[in-house]
Amino acid sequence: MAEVVFDLYDREKLLLAEGQAILDNGDSLAIRQFAERLFDRFSKLVRENEDLTRHSDRQEQRLVKLNRNLKTQTLELEQQRSRLEGLSNQLAKYLPPQIHDALFAGKYDTQITTQRKKLTVFFSDIKDFTRTAESLQPEALTEYLNEYFSEMTQIALSYGATIDKYIGDAVMLFFGDPESKGVREDARACVSMALEMQEQMLVLQRRWLERGFENPFVIRIGINTGYCNVGNFGSEQRLSYTIIGGEVNVAQRLEASSDPGGILISYDTFVHVDDLVEVEERQAVNLKGIDRSIKTYAVKGRKSEADKPLRLSHAQGVYIDLSPKSLSSQDCLLIAEQLKSLARQLEDLQAEQLSLSKELIG
Amino acid sequence: MNLHIAATDRTPEISLTYQPLKLLIQGESFPEDVSAFYGQVINAINSLQTQAKGELQVEMAMIYINSSSIKAMYRIFEGLDAYRKAGNQVEVVWKAEEDDDIMQELGEDFKDRFQELIFSIIQHG
Repeated sequence: MAEVVFDLYDREKLLLAEGQAILDNGDSLAIRQFAERLFDRFSKLVRENEDLTRHSDRQEQRLVKLNRNLKTQTLELEQQRSRLEGLSNQLAKYLPPQIHDALFAGKYDTQITTQRKKLTVFFSDIKDFTRTAESLQPEALTEYLNEYFSEMTQIALSYGATIDKYIGDAVMLFFGDPESKGVREDARACVSMALEMQEQMLVLQRRWLERGFENPFVIRIGINTGYCNVGNFGSEQRLSYTIIGGEVNVAQRLEASSDPGGILISYDTFVHVDDLVEVEERQAVNLKGIDRSIKTYAVKGRKSEADKPLRLSHAQGVYIDLSPKSLSSQDCLLIAEQLKSLARQLEDLQAEQLSLSKELIG
Repeated sequence: MNLHIAATDRTPEISLTYQPLKLLIQGESFPEDVSAFYGQVINAINSLQTQAKGELQVEMAMIYINSSSIKAMYRIFEGLDAYRKAGNQVEVVWKAEEDDDIMQELGEDFKDRFQELIFSIIQHG
């Protein structure tokens, strides 16, 4: 049996159909009886319609009110968001970008917690800053200093450095926290950054000379790699994300011992960049609280591609480390022949193993 | 025959039991096809006149109801009124949330239209 489809307006529709038939027929008694029923139904419909319209009006009114509230709230939220964005942009200038980003993403823990981590620490300051500053008008000093800090900061951020703080004319930054690419890569990024900074200083010095800055700033840089305590130091009311430890002092001491315009690195940094930069060993330094003599190296520039050591290593016991400088042309040929012969043997071995495994499967 | 329809996000829970004789409608009502949804309920209520006897307790607690559903509610109230006219007592409790003046006023409208039914409106938190 087919399901009877219910219709909310079935009675009204039935009346209309019935009325049409009665009108066509023209029987006056039938018309009168029909008119009475029509009147009754119509009266009910009018009442229903009144109620429905009133209810509909109330719903609309509520919607309009809700919509108004929503608009007001959206506007307030937008104003708040705009204020927060402005605040965030202002704060970004005072905080290391990694910390700022983590804070605003809600991923940063502001507990007083620190951890020991191997970092590469960088210090730089301007040689004879006090004397240079005294010879300049305050406006000019501000202009040159801002230019200097802006350019250095830009380079530092492009290498992923965490800028710890500016101390007067000095810059303290480090690599390895909160983000790290590994101790070696962090150290290499730091030294590469320092080289670019000194290169940029030469550009700045020329620019400043042209503008009448007679003795333009020259900076010294010190870099050290070692274990430091990193994290939030301070009190519940006021925190500072920074690093402390003897290795931080070493970096500062290296900076003080560096040549003007130069970069002085410790042995612990040098081991990670020996293939990257040309260095000159300098006098070792001793520091209070550090029970070892620190070997130091002045960075003289980047190594050319030809100077890079030729290295090959594999867990199966292969280790090749050749220094191009110590190889004669004859050595090169001899080693190349030996390696080619070894390569052929390896290829034969691989082909043999492949055919054996096919036989086994077949 | 007892009727029970579980609530969905568009339709209310509806139950009609004979032992005890009770009708409950609660939730939100904006079905896609009002005639199809309420048809079975209206038919069940209309059949009370022949299949039931005695006092009928009705509880209605709507949160939101669209205009088409109100039209269906009229048919339900007409069915309840017909059961009353057949000599039975019908007691309706219309529940509306305390801050929902729309549902309270809708209850007042039904109360006004079906004056012979025992009709009380209760606010709840």
